[in-house]
This record gives sequence, C-alpha cells and structure tokens, in this order.
Amino acid sequence: MTDFAGLLRALSQAGVEFIVVGGAAATAHGSALLTFDLDVVYRRSPQNIQRVAAALAPHAPYLRGAPAGLPFRWDVATIERGLNFTLTTDLGAIDFLGEITGGGSYEDLLPHAVVLKVFDLECRCLGLEKLIEVKRAAGRPKDFEAIAQLEALLEERDNQESR
Amino acid sequence: MARLESDPVIEAYKKDVDRTLLRENLKRSVEERFQSLIALQRAAEELRRAGREASRRT
Repeated sequence: MTDFAGLLRALSQAGVEFIVVGGAAATAHGSALLTFDLDVVYRRSPQNIQRVAAALAPHAPYLRGAPAGLPFRWDVATIERGLNFTLTTDLGAIDFLGEITGGGSYEDLLPHAVVLKVFDLECRCLGLEKLIEVKRAAGRPKDFEAIAQLEALLEERDNQESR
Repeated sequence: MARLESDPVIEAYKKDVDRTLLRENLKRSVEERFQSLIALQRAAEELRRAGREASRRT
C-alpha cells in the first residue's frame, strides 16, 4: 500500500521541486479509479537532483520489479545518469520521471500545474486538462478508461461551475 | 488551454463511466479523495489476500 502523505511529505520537506502526475493526480481531481503508486515529474536541475536523492535515501529506494540484491544506489550520480525511475520504498511505490510523453519536462509542465493543499502540505499537481492531454498522447489502451473518466470529470466540473 | 477534439474510442468508454461517483468525489476535499483511494487500496489488498488463500485451499 502507498503512503501518499508520507511520500509527499518526504519530498516537500526536502524541498524537491516536483509535479504530481498520473493516477494520483487523477485522484486529486476526483477520479474514482484505483492507483497503487505516486508518479511525479521532478526538475532535472543539479540542486533538485541532490534534493531528490536526499528525500528518498532514508526510505530504502530500490528498482521496482528488479531481482533482490542488485547493487543499486540511490544517489546523485545514479539520478544524473538516468531519467525515469520506478521505485519501491518503505513508504510505497513511486515513479520519478524526468520527462513524460506528450508533456515533456518539469519546466514544460509547470505552467499547467495547480497547487494542491493536502495532508497539511502544498504541492504541485498537473491540471486536469493537461493530464488528459498527456494521457491521450501516451496512447496506451490501458489508459482509455482513465481518460474517459477524466473527460467526464471535466464535463461534470464545467457543469457545476456553469450552474 | 484549447479543448481537445472528441475521440470516438474515448466517447465509447465514457458511456460506462459512473458519473454519480464522480459527482460525489467533486463534493469532497482533495484530502478526502486521497483517503478514499487509500481505503480502496486496503480493500483491494484484502481481496487479493483472500483470493490467494482461496486458491491455496482448492
């Protein structure tokens, strides 16, 4: 199970610049679909990579789905050499994404982010319209149901606002 | 942001969306939506455990 509050707190307290995307962002906007991990797009600046490394280091990060015992080290060098990381931690599963299909980098997504106030924290989350655009761009059949739900949410939200 | 064009595949999926759930969620705070997700995760974990146990028994 994913400790969403714990993960968001760990990132926020370390000062990580990130945007919540994927299923957790869909939940924040009102989706009723089940998701098991937290997906975030992080800023690829040297300072932020240091913060990302420090934020998760106390939480036993390891490559999700990889055999146990690999010499994996969650540090600045590893993050600099890679881009997207799918991890398990003692707080649950988290995907650290340097870029996403149809959305690009943290800087590209930032104008489309909204501020979430949740678990006594403030963090950025991708806006509903952009989330739909990104999921459409990914073109994965497994996302069709989620896209349908997000578009229905947008319609419902617009209906409520126009009343 | 310009609205996306309608996609016939997504429109077909949209017919099956339970909008009553979405309307209820829209009344909730973001934190309440996450609490509901966590409760759903717990239920899914419990069902998986029960399913594994049932498979072992048969």
